[in-house]
Amino acid sequence: MGKYILRRFWQSIITVLIVLFVMFMLLRLMPKENYFTRDDYINMTEEDRTAYLRNLGVLDNPLVQFVRFLRGFVTGDLGRSITVYPKTPISEILKEKIPYSLWFGLVSVLLSVILGFLMGIGMANNKDKLGDQLGTMYVVAVRAIPSLVYLFLIQMWITHLFNLPMVFYEDEPASWILPAISLSLSGIAWYAIWLRRFMVDEENKDYIKFAIAKGLPRNYIMKRHVLRNALVPLVQYLPSQILLTIAGSLIIESIYSIPGMGGLLVYAIRQQDNTLVQALVCIYSILGVFGVFLGDILMAIVDPRIKLTSAKIEREVTA
Amino acid sequence: MKHRMLVLMVALSITVFAVAQGTDRYRITYETEPKTLNYFYLIDNTSQRVAANTQDHLVENDRFGRFVPALAERWTTNENATVWTFYLRKGVKWVDDKGKPTEYEVTADDFYEGFRYVADPKNGIKNFGSIRSLLVGLADYYKGLQDVDSGKDKNRTRQQVLDTFKTVGIRVIDKYTIEYTTAKPTPWFLTYLTMDLFFPVEKAFMDKVGAENFGTAKDKLIFSGCYYISDWQRDKLIVLKRNENYWDKKNVFIKEITMQKVSDPAIALQMFQRGELSSAGLNADQVKGLQNTKWKDYIYMTDRSSVTFWWALNFQSKNPEFAAFVKNLNFRKALYYGIDHVKLLSLDDPLSPQNLLRTTIIPEEVIFDEKGKDYTDYPGLKEFKNAGNTYNPKLATEYFMKAVAELTDGKGNIKGVAAQAVDLKPVAQFNIDGKLPLQILIIHSTSSSDTKFALLMQAMFKDVFGPENVEVVLGQYVDDQYDEVIAPQKFDMAYDSFRFAYGDPLAQLGRLVTGGAVNDGGWSDPEFDALVAEADKKIKLSDRYAIFAKAEAMILDRVYIIPFRCGGSAYAIGNVVPYTYPRSGFGVTRFKYKGMKLESKPLLASRVEEIRRQFYADLEKLQGK
Repeated sequence: MGKYILRRFWQSIITVLIVLFVMFMLLRLMPKENYFTRDDYINMTEEDRTAYLRNLGVLDNPLVQFVRFLRGFVTGDLGRSITVYPKTPISEILKEKIPYSLWFGLVSVLLSVILGFLMGIGMANNKDKLGDQLGTMYVVAVRAIPSLVYLFLIQMWITHLFNLPMVFYEDEPASWILPAISLSLSGIAWYAIWLRRFMVDEENKDYIKFAIAKGLPRNYIMKRHVLRNALVPLVQYLPSQILLTIAGSLIIESIYSIPGMGGLLVYAIRQQDNTLVQALVCIYSILGVFGVFLGDILMAIVDPRIKLTSAKIEREVTA
Repeated sequence: MKHRMLVLMVALSITVFAVAQGTDRYRITYETEPKTLNYFYLIDNTSQRVAANTQDHLVENDRFGRFVPALAERWTTNENATVWTFYLRKGVKWVDDKGKPTEYEVTADDFYEGFRYVADPKNGIKNFGSIRSLLVGLADYYKGLQDVDSGKDKNRTRQQVLDTFKTVGIRVIDKYTIEYTTAKPTPWFLTYLTMDLFFPVEKAFMDKVGAENFGTAKDKLIFSGCYYISDWQRDKLIVLKRNENYWDKKNVFIKEITMQKVSDPAIALQMFQRGELSSAGLNADQVKGLQNTKWKDYIYMTDRSSVTFWWALNFQSKNPEFAAFVKNLNFRKALYYGIDHVKLLSLDDPLSPQNLLRTTIIPEEVIFDEKGKDYTDYPGLKEFKNAGNTYNPKLATEYFMKAVAELTDGKGNIKGVAAQAVDLKPVAQFNIDGKLPLQILIIHSTSSSDTKFALLMQAMFKDVFGPENVEVVLGQYVDDQYDEVIAPQKFDMAYDSFRFAYGDPLAQLGRLVTGGAVNDGGWSDPEFDALVAEADKKIKLSDRYAIFAKAEAMILDRVYIIPFRCGGSAYAIGNVVPYTYPRSGFGVTRFKYKGMKLESKPLLASRVEEIRRQFYADLEKLQGK
């Protein structure tokens, strides 16, 4: 196990380095004008611009720049934003925004997992009955209706019905409820439908039929065998989902005025803020890669049949 | 248990909102996040509001628009209005982001250093062009730095040029006295002083935090105004609290201003209706939607502002068909008479769109000559001011057909224009065939109101000129019209709004000359340039205004741009008592909340009207009318 973890860890590091390198080099191909605010660019002479770029270090050999970037990244120096929040250290921006996205994200993952699992179990246990059909209706509705529509309706009507605040206020706990619930709606649907599917699949397998034939109680079979096996493919995604909560949600943060990370990358790209794009892509890549790494380990812990140390890794179940 | 918790939380929220509406807390929303709090870079409405309330100028406007003392307790000027001396209040302290007085006192040096910062091209101050020639030696100093920076001047170092700042017409007489010397007589000098370019800065503080960090966070600023920034969460909220050490605290009634960012105006209205806000602006759809509700009686209209919207016609168009037509006066006249502006403005104000109409470049009732005559009432210009909606489809068609006769070969082929692709990506891309119908590219933003506006223009041109003569192509920009459309010349027609920076027609007309900062269409008329130069030499206001009015009337007559709308005059609803706060056509003091009074309940429109009548009666009395 330890050997496997170490090997996967180094693989993850190499993957991250490749992603960072490719991203970094691609950004070097972007026009140099992106390193200026519009006013700066207009007001600077060609000599000024060259001096400014040299000062930033973007005229150096790209490999030298990459090493310098990695060194800065490791020490927490992510540079300064250029156009989104001119001259503000990126670490300051992230320090302000990440806690909001993280908090709402974690609550939403928790709600999604608890409610999604309960719903999925309920649907599988009542396959083709009313409960299952209602659950399916919910899943289809959440998936099929553009999220902006129901999120906006929730904001308008539910806040009115329960006299809740329309937007998020840090010092008013009542205003935290709806964004957290809204954020978990699609997660609940996702966990519910996949858990139902895996549980129904398991129920149709021979060993379950054999267990039923043996006369084992249904509850026991469902809990010990069906649910446990059905959970395996789902837990793999849990670490990624938890880690990537810091990326925030573009729509929900926007409609509830939550000053989180949602939309920051899109905005940075639209504003052509190279240093901010660079920092965000790096962070998200690292979290993504390590999420997969942790997911693999978690899956191995949950399902002992997965032999990590063997040259031929077998996975009984894949998502 | 769970159920009880929910009930408890709901009850808690009801309690919170029941007490939210007070008369000393002003809660509003904003849509554009300030990129920085550095008050020398005011590029949006939000940052203007924050700066106006957290920093004071030497002078400010009272609720009638008169210039009254602020950080300067009095001022004097010489006979020909070239030397202006301001005497500062003593003992005014800068406060920090906790509202505590710092060790720094507001002195004449702070205004001197603030101006030195503005006059350095390295700091890239956007509006510097408006004051470049204002003070003695300023233009030379600025150019000197530019030349050294560009390497054009190799004989001097940057420091040597910086040392010549003492030749600029700004001088610290003593700790509490500062003097400005203008390059020519400038009786309207006070109107410059409420611009962001004349804010003070405490150099010792700026050096301490580093010029690069100045204004990047609330603790990277200190404050001289009636409020200080107590909280700034990017993309969320800005909280201003009353400066308890403010020199005029007795006239600051609101203790806290909370500015909450929202993504949609619909949310702001809902928040207001639920008591979460003190006021809200309303768009046309919302006004319509409220007609059958109790809120109908609370909707009132704000005053017109000095901001003017106009259509820019692109004389440098990359669409050869439009490029051929736009240089033709008959075609431009056809456009002038072919746009039904009242119909367009009904999208913004469905009830009284004509209130939004403005057909001159310089706003009315903002500048007056020595006899109190409104600039827009000068001969030549008055006719344009009173023209109202110039829509006349018959006349438009006549002019268009004249243009067609002059610019086509009689068979619909536009002279000198061949079929080709017009690539203005990402804004638009289309093919032209060099024949009628003439294709015109009209640009709009991605907002629904702008899109409706552009679609209406498209339909209007089709109706007026016929689909066989004109075809409107619509193009969109995403974020910044100037960056995406105007600067790269990717438009045929686009409209923009321009604020009136200071109290002289030169503020707008001087920027419309050949190569001027707001001459978006890149047109050039030497006769107009000469008239502006000639007017600018006149000192007596009536002489000056007469020539400016002639110049303005000339470009309106030649249809280089088409003004059509004023700023302000918007629907609103709220607890704010109107006319209790500063009023001005220039600078940023009109954004001040000093003096503003709130009521505990929304004001009925009839009450607002009553207050308005009383205000204008008082104003007329003051003006001796």
